[in-house]
Amino acid sequence: MANPTMKKVDIITASMIIPMCFYVFYESGTWPLPALLGNPLLIPRLVASSLLVAAGMLLLRSLAARSRILESRLQGLNLWRVSGVAVLTGGYVFTLERVGFVPTTFIFLLLFGLVLGERRWSRLIFFAIIVPAAIHIIFDATLNVPLPRGLFR
Amino acid sequence: MVSFDLLLLGFGTVLTGYNIIALVLGSFMGIIIGAIPGLTATMGIALLVPFTFGMTPITGIVMLLGIYAGAIYGGGIASILIKTPGTPAAAATVFDGYPLAQKGMAGKAIGMATVASGIGGTFTAFCLTFFAPILANFALRFSAPEYFALAVFGLSVTVTLAGRDPLKGFISGAVGLLIAMIGLDPMGGFPRFTFGRVELTGGFSFVPMLIGLFALSEGFRQVETILTAPKVDAVLKDILPKLRELKECTVTFVRSCIIGLIVGITPAIGAETSCFVSYAEAKRTSKHPEKFGTGVLEGVAAPQTAENASTGGDLLPMLTLGLPGDAATAVLMGALTIHNLQPGPLLFRDHADLVHQIFAGMIVANFLFVILGLTFARFFARVININRRYLIPLVFICCMVGSYAINNNLFDLASCVFFGFIGYLMMRYDYPVSPIVLAQILGFMMESNFRRSLAMSRGDPSILVTRPIALTILILAAITTVTAIRRQRRALRAQATVSTGASDSGGRYQ
Repeated sequence: MANPTMKKVDIITASMIIPMCFYVFYESGTWPLPALLGNPLLIPRLVASSLLVAAGMLLLRSLAARSRILESRLQGLNLWRVSGVAVLTGGYVFTLERVGFVPTTFIFLLLFGLVLGERRWSRLIFFAIIVPAAIHIIFDATLNVPLPRGLFR
Repeated sequence: MVSFDLLLLGFGTVLTGYNIIALVLGSFMGIIIGAIPGLTATMGIALLVPFTFGMTPITGIVMLLGIYAGAIYGGGIASILIKTPGTPAAAATVFDGYPLAQKGMAGKAIGMATVASGIGGTFTAFCLTFFAPILANFALRFSAPEYFALAVFGLSVTVTLAGRDPLKGFISGAVGLLIAMIGLDPMGGFPRFTFGRVELTGGFSFVPMLIGLFALSEGFRQVETILTAPKVDAVLKDILPKLRELKECTVTFVRSCIIGLIVGITPAIGAETSCFVSYAEAKRTSKHPEKFGTGVLEGVAAPQTAENASTGGDLLPMLTLGLPGDAATAVLMGALTIHNLQPGPLLFRDHADLVHQIFAGMIVANFLFVILGLTFARFFARVININRRYLIPLVFICCMVGSYAINNNLFDLASCVFFGFIGYLMMRYDYPVSPIVLAQILGFMMESNFRRSLAMSRGDPSILVTRPIALTILILAAITTVTAIRRQRRALRAQATVSTGASDSGGRYQ
């Protein structure tokens, strides 16, 4: 998959922002207008209008200008690694309360280390055990901030 | 005016019990965070805010102040040893710090950087102590129109000065304003942009968003390249600067302190700007400007003094007006609100003792990092070698656990991860991140005070321009915006002229 250039990214950004601005106008039309508390529509619509103009300028600028392929900036970047970490992080959010903090964090750190290319298993496992234990002690025992117990409730 | 009784009591509170332990720990962690390239002061504060939940307000705040001051200083260590600034604020320290290290004078450079940072930070900590109560007293006269004008001023400066492209900065700020409107209307109490979700009736929680945008996003960026810094093997000797060397830099210290203070007070301009301005001035006024860049102690003293001097300046508008000076103070503001303390003039009126404890904490923090920096210089130098394959996952876990722990709410964790990924994409494609955060704070201030002003004047908008202080601030906002846009356009045109027909940083056009 070819990496997106700034031009494409700017066009995508403007295309996402423009409907957002129209939605602001739409939803703000359904709000009540409490008397003597100032008009609640004014600031949101002003911001949305300004944003619409800015997004339009960005779109026109992107369509009219030459695009840039930022080879040097993209050189050496491993976007599969970023995607892998993003998926792992999403999985962490999904399982944290269901499974519990300690086991979820242990598995997360193990897999994260593997994604980053760490292959020294003993160190990785030691790290994956120590960190959740330490955080659990700091938050639960010392700061009295409970962390999810999940399956160990 | 500052109350000397309260200030002495403040020192008494800060130097005892858990407070001094928190301050020492905070300074130590701050120096480590600053020394490691890729970790910033803002990130460090954002990461460690959740750890202050179980602490008393003053203990938590002094710990964060210790991190703030320590991290700003710590960036210079990596600049000197491996030619890579530990924090953006230490970029100018590379120019003379690294050549000094190459000459075998790494210890001397670090020693000078440490003392210079201490002088800058302590100077503006004292300025903060003496000027903040005066400004807060003046601000007690402010009403809704003045706060509206202040918010507009803060937003205009933030948006125009953040990033290289004012248009993208504006878009970032405007999106931040819309995000700030999610939740209940501040005056009418009806839901806005909640899509029927109960979790959004309070809007996005501020601290998880901060952690995501500043800390987690940087974590994603680090994953891209697994930044491997060159190994530090310099032998550090003669760390403590000689009296003669310090005397030779006296004028540099004084000038850099003033530059740092002025730059720090200006909203949206942080330590990164002050270090470059200070270095340029030191070089310009030096008897031997040709020596700058070859390894002179003055070239290290100037930026390091200014960058820590800007910390007090950044705190001044935040504490007195509720206007964050930069991203780091925005995070500190979030920390204060977690402890039920609202920055602004009322903080000085209702919690004068706590405010003086904060002043004392800031002064002590600047002394502490000098002592720690000089004593443990060799340890901090080795910290730069930390394995990123363990550091990055640790950062992720601290971010996520911290976000969750605020309200024991999974939605906060999801927000953190969401904004973390958005922040990463924004950084990747040149959209500045700090306007979103500052717009969150200033947007609420702007909207609620605008509506209050109209309620005060029974709908007459002229109240915003007929009150002299409000009008002055609005005019300043307009002038600042126009000047900033003109300056950036000139800079971009100059850049385009230089790179015409050639690739820009290795990129090519199609």
